[in-house]
Amino acid sequence: MTLDAEHCITCGDIAVTATVVQVDGATATVDVDGTREQVGIELVEPVVVGELLLCHAGVALEKVADAP
Amino acid sequence: MRFVDEFRSGELAQKLVHELATLVEPGRTLKIMEVCGGHTHAIYKHGIEDLVPPEIDYVHGPGCPVCVIPMGRVDDAIALAERPEVIFTTFGDMMRVPGGRGSLLEAKARGADVRMVYSPLDALELARRNPEREVIFFAIGFETTAPATAVTLLRARKEGIRNFSAFCNHVTIGPPLKAILDSPGLQLDAFIAPGHVSTVIGTRPYDFIVRDYAKPVVVTAFEPIDILHATVMLVRQLREGRCEVENQYTRVVRRDGNPRALAALEETMELRDTFEWRGLGWIEQSALKLRPELADWDAEARFELPGTRIDDPKACQCGEVLIGAIKPWECKVFGTACTPERPIGTCMVSSEGACAAYYNYGRLQRRRDRVPA
Repeated sequence: MTLDAEHCITCGDIAVTATVVQVDGATATVDVDGTREQVGIELVEPVVVGELLLCHAGVALEKVADAP
Repeated sequence: MRFVDEFRSGELAQKLVHELATLVEPGRTLKIMEVCGGHTHAIYKHGIEDLVPPEIDYVHGPGCPVCVIPMGRVDDAIALAERPEVIFTTFGDMMRVPGGRGSLLEAKARGADVRMVYSPLDALELARRNPEREVIFFAIGFETTAPATAVTLLRARKEGIRNFSAFCNHVTIGPPLKAILDSPGLQLDAFIAPGHVSTVIGTRPYDFIVRDYAKPVVVTAFEPIDILHATVMLVRQLREGRCEVENQYTRVVRRDGNPRALAALEETMELRDTFEWRGLGWIEQSALKLRPELADWDAEARFELPGTRIDDPKACQCGEVLIGAIKPWECKVFGTACTPERPIGTCMVSSEGACAAYYNYGRLQRRRDRVPA
């Protein structure tokens, strides 16, 4: 997951919530504020298009509850 | 942005600050350690320290994985990177961390093939595309980042990609917290526990803090409303005489964490007997190494490392900053000999480091003004 320059990727300190737009095996294409990225989804499978994932270092760590 | 805007509401922040003002006991300072460097960064980026009553004193903890890597491990990384057959991949922040022989960025300038990646999966892709080279990933980070390394290793094994390996420096959050709690003379009232580490490990691993040390804990996320809300929850516990592990970050953190992430870690890694932490020294069972079954993907097993231990620079007080014994601006070299452009200590390198957070958000002059004579 690409973070902006002021953040350190190792911490994953921002809640990078990404929306699933496509699933292809163990990889999902996700949308983060208009940017498309690919993340590994082994740790949260199965996922469906439209679900929200918390992503860090190219891997989805958890599904995010929809209502804050 | 979803899950961001609603957690930066000024109106809600004011309500929480007002509630805090009614909860604190005037004149009685409450020292709250935010364990994670991401929280430190957010506290100073959003000016939270200036919003809360003066009785709330945020103490910065050891949770910046870049900051706790000892210099000897950086030298080991440089030795790997300088091998002609190696493409050495690393997260960007590690590029500038000084070891005894300079930084990875300087090694790159000397000709080493060092490349920045955003994910270990990117490093694995490099290995696929460069079968004639050895691609090594500099694996650092707490339990937030270790699962990405685990997933990558499992993919490498499944696909039989033999020219990929990990130089594993993953660390765990529990043991350093215990080391801090055991530090003589340290005065802490409560803990803000890391949000994303807890996504993986859950909230149970903090139970010992309330059980054995009687310090309240709240797990929280990284937006200003999250941190203010967690602070209110902690002060409320202290006020009501409660001592519990509470979870403010319920939108992703579960009591038992993510079992599949934990299983991936269990399958690929095991605890080291001991590991050196910058500023904290050697801490037993505080870091991870690859399991022997994954030796073919373990850079430590496959390549010779110098393994030299290097003392931190004498002028650097990162160690005291990392355990919250001093504030960054109290370090002798803060903002003078040690700056983000030319860091001496690791706390000034990473944007999550307490010193860099102070420096980048204009604390330098103001903090000096507030230093008691």
